[in-house]
Amino acid sequence: MDKITILNSQEQRQVFFRLLKYVKPHIKQIIIAFVLLSLVTIGEVSGPILIKIFIDDFVAPNNIVAGPIITLASLYLFILFTSAVVMYIQSLKFQEIALKIIQQLRIDVFSKVQTLGLRYFDKTPVGTIVSRVTNDTEAIKELFVSVLAIFIQSIFLFIGIFVAMFILDIKLAALCLLFLPILIWIIHMYRKLSSTSFSALRELIGQLNAKLNESLQGMSIIQVFRQEKRMRKEFNELNTKHYEAGIHNIKINGLLLRPAVDLVHIIAILIVLSFFGITSMESTIEIGVLYAFVNYISRFFEPVNQVMQQLTFFQQAVISAARVFKLLDEKELAPQQENRPVQISKGKIEFRNVTFSYDGNQKVLKNITFTANPGDTVALVGHTGSGKSSIINLLMRFYEFEKGEILIDGVSIKQYNMNELRQKMGLVLQDAFLFYGTIKDNIRLHNEELTDEDIIEAAEFVQANQFIEKLPDGYNQQVTERGSTFSSGQRQLLAFARTMVTNPKILILDEATANIDTETEEMIQQALAKMRKGRTTIAIAHRLSTIQDADLILVLHKGEIVERGNHQQLLAQKGLYYKMYLLQNGHSENIADVVQQEI
Amino acid sequence: MKVFRDLSWFFKQEKKAYLTGIFMLFLVAILQLVPPRVIGIVADEIEASSITWGKLSVWISVLILAGMLMYILRYYWRIHIFGASVKLARILRTRLYEHFTKMSPHFYQRKRIGDLMAHATNDIQAIQQTAGSGVLTLVDSLLTGGFVIVAMAITISWKLTLIALLPMPIIALLTNWYGTTLHARFKKAQEAFSFLNDKTQESISGIKVIKTFGQEKEDIEDFKKLSNEVVQKNIAVAKIDSLYDPTISACVGISFILSIGFGAKYVLEGSMSIGDLIAFNTYLGLLIWPMLAFGWFFNIVERGRASYDRVYRLLNEKIDIVDREQTIDESPSGDIEISITNFQYPNHEKSILQDIHFTLKQGKTLGIVGKTGAGKTSLLKLLLREFEGYNGEIRIGGRDIKDYRLDALRKAFGYVPQDHFLFSATIKENIAFAKPNATDEEIYLAAKTADVHDDIQGFVDGYETIVGERGVSLSGGQKQRISIARAILLNPEILILDDSLSAVDAKTEESILTALKENRQGKTTIITAHRLSAIQHADLIIVLDDGKITQIGVHESLMQENGWYKEIYHQQQLEALVEHGG
Repeated sequence: MDKITILNSQEQRQVFFRLLKYVKPHIKQIIIAFVLLSLVTIGEVSGPILIKIFIDDFVAPNNIVAGPIITLASLYLFILFTSAVVMYIQSLKFQEIALKIIQQLRIDVFSKVQTLGLRYFDKTPVGTIVSRVTNDTEAIKELFVSVLAIFIQSIFLFIGIFVAMFILDIKLAALCLLFLPILIWIIHMYRKLSSTSFSALRELIGQLNAKLNESLQGMSIIQVFRQEKRMRKEFNELNTKHYEAGIHNIKINGLLLRPAVDLVHIIAILIVLSFFGITSMESTIEIGVLYAFVNYISRFFEPVNQVMQQLTFFQQAVISAARVFKLLDEKELAPQQENRPVQISKGKIEFRNVTFSYDGNQKVLKNITFTANPGDTVALVGHTGSGKSSIINLLMRFYEFEKGEILIDGVSIKQYNMNELRQKMGLVLQDAFLFYGTIKDNIRLHNEELTDEDIIEAAEFVQANQFIEKLPDGYNQQVTERGSTFSSGQRQLLAFARTMVTNPKILILDEATANIDTETEEMIQQALAKMRKGRTTIAIAHRLSTIQDADLILVLHKGEIVERGNHQQLLAQKGLYYKMYLLQNGHSENIADVVQQEI
Repeated sequence: MKVFRDLSWFFKQEKKAYLTGIFMLFLVAILQLVPPRVIGIVADEIEASSITWGKLSVWISVLILAGMLMYILRYYWRIHIFGASVKLARILRTRLYEHFTKMSPHFYQRKRIGDLMAHATNDIQAIQQTAGSGVLTLVDSLLTGGFVIVAMAITISWKLTLIALLPMPIIALLTNWYGTTLHARFKKAQEAFSFLNDKTQESISGIKVIKTFGQEKEDIEDFKKLSNEVVQKNIAVAKIDSLYDPTISACVGISFILSIGFGAKYVLEGSMSIGDLIAFNTYLGLLIWPMLAFGWFFNIVERGRASYDRVYRLLNEKIDIVDREQTIDESPSGDIEISITNFQYPNHEKSILQDIHFTLKQGKTLGIVGKTGAGKTSLLKLLLREFEGYNGEIRIGGRDIKDYRLDALRKAFGYVPQDHFLFSATIKENIAFAKPNATDEEIYLAAKTADVHDDIQGFVDGYETIVGERGVSLSGGQKQRISIARAILLNPEILILDDSLSAVDAKTEESILTALKENRQGKTTIITAHRLSAIQHADLIIVLDDGKITQIGVHESLMQENGWYKEIYHQQQLEALVEHGG
């Protein structure tokens, strides 16, 4: 679904240029970095020139004058140390810029994710999204930190060296340009060959790991069906292929990387020597120039090696960037609001002929109509998949619906500002999702307006304070392992506190299905009763005992309301609700009776 | 270095590759000395104006020859040494995989798959690096470094060599110190990164909570803070990382000026030629790499050692289910007699099965029911000999199952597990998993018996549809039925369905059960289930509770008893009614 493995060169370019746009805000810093880099380059190339002057003006003619030599040596040392310092600052600057760029990209992706609708999260595994935000951006970081930085440094050095060579000897410098085409050809060949062999290797690593992972997961099946030998054979075939691809890669690297570049290095030296040799037969030359050229050439080849080794990472980074951009362009947004200046004052909820489908085919809600008057409790009951949660999902604006209307205080919920809805409607989810942080953090979430007193008050209101105060660090206790050290009842109480601290007008409850110990159960019931007082409440109930006092109970089946009324009315109907009630509270004799009657 | 001793079996095995590779490295190290020397000689000839076409072409030829030879040698040592290291990775991977296939479920209960994967990937990679780059950096830094220093000292001047080398130990010391600091800071940066990763994971898993409380903006702020932390920690890394180049450049620069300064003095004194001076400086340039390589070497070896220890420990894990000395090769057949007084999982206190005694006649169907955790699956696991260590005996055809060769024993079984696991392959390959050479007809027949043939035909690619993690997603019921077909295809002596009808509706369940009845005439079938309708027809039904048999009989007799069976049977019927909307 989200897998991009191969891009054509045009797509690669597009992605690359889109990435470069992120550089723009840092343009000032980058100019500074470039100026520093130019200084470093000048420093680096001036060294050999100074030594050349020393050799040609003093050593060769046997002309030792203390003053100028000391000046020269000091100048050399000065340039050496200055350029080392500048080099440090420059390199740090480049990395800083790269890190900031990636940070921005990361924030952009994360912000984008926050605007997406739940539909997107339904169809995309959590791991995939996390990968986009962190791992893929990390791969792009490599592009900026290593690849581009090394690339730019090399280009600067390259230009600097050639400028210096041209200053020293125009003819020879021009001659040295001759080995450039060879080098470019090698880089081109390497890029061409390595991109296929490297991606083949990566693909095989992926397959090998997938096979291993799958085998480990399905090991008992493999063993019970006695397929160990066959699986071993299959794994070995893949392993051998991977080995061969590895060897192939080594060969390509061997043919075109360091060994080849070193060979070109020798050819370059050869050109320089021949030139000097031949010229010196006709005229005198300065031996220092020879020294400087040989020195420059050695300096030049190291960056070439480095650039070539980075090339494969470049491709990887571009593929990661393509994936990140795809997420940034995602169109599955959260439902949009009209943002009229309307406010929820009473808390009356109306559903009018609401029909809804997650996938556009199968209707999970059909013509749902009901009204919850201010302060009333409406309970939703029904089997798994009957549509209870969908009603809440629509009311919370998690999903957009097309048919029908949902009104709060007579105004369509689409007209409200999202903030207004979130502030006035409090949803208690089945299982309190606990975040990393303290208990206090988990009740407050990021709402800085809430004081510690507010939090304690809310906890006391739902009686969560009783277990919180028993914790070694009380409200400052760190939540570990997503709160799995707490019982499900305790987590539920925390979820209550989290909602109650915001003091919502409308309360929406999704009761926990998990078994809750009787001790906490009682506290939960007391808390629920207190919470519902004075608030319009829509509650999904799994245990029918908890909603016996509801003003209206809606029994859902396959997306439709099949029965409605209060507890007594529904029991009297002896329909679906009655059977559900029996199932939870009935004695076995009653059950047997009902079953025998029906069949 | 311990890791090199640990790996000696491999070095011995690949003696030829390593010796050839090292010999080639040796030649390269010597040949590397040629170009600087040639430069020096030619420079002297030029200086003395004694150069001729003849001399020039000789030296040029020497250079070309040395260059070509080095190219070839460099190419081949890579193939020998790096090639061997890739081979080591392959061998270790194969060994690990083979070992994994021999480990019993007990092993997989103790280990996390993520960790096992990490050993098979990261650790093996680190070991491969040790056997490749590790050997290279050691040999190369010693050879190249040694030869260059010797060449400088002997052919040019030992005094100048000593002087020029003065700053070199500083490089080694500083880079070593940078390495340690960098490692510590890098670890912090990694921590910050994984913290950010956790945060992202948490935000996405808890997206509903965030949306409920309208905290998107605040959450983004939180993310910004953490991502800023990542930037700060990485800048701390960069602060050290950026020290490398300037340090090396400065030290090398000092080395150069020392050699030029003192070299010039020797030239003027007449004890050295200008060509020698230039050659000397070029040699100096060759020393940078061995210096760095030596630093890397320790790093690589350190990581390789830790990784090898981990992999080795894993390979030494004892295989806990092994064949006895004298085993029967034929596959078991006959009545199943189970007589277990007690069983608990290794390292667990709780008794899982207690006093289970019953006999299932050959060709009959057994139904096992009971609450989750009552011991149903555990009983099957003992029968399949996935676990041992129980008190009592399980006999098939009158012989203890431990008397059969494990492979022969398992040949008798067709097993449909609770968690229907399919492999990333076509549906056809999945059904024919245990019998890869099955004909299409056999596969279709098995699929029809499992009532999944029509579903499969409905897919665009039919039986060629790829399933599993990387293929199309099937419904739980479809997966379950495919895994039933996989077991049926074997036409096994004993078919085991471990709660394998939970995800199919009542109608499909009935059609599968009917088909099975016909298909499995005269063969033994064992079914565990939550839904009693799946075992209602069985010839023998046992009710397990907390590892003990609480009721035993057939459906009719159990319905007469006032027990769990009858109660649950009614309850499930009511549930069925509710599911259908009353």
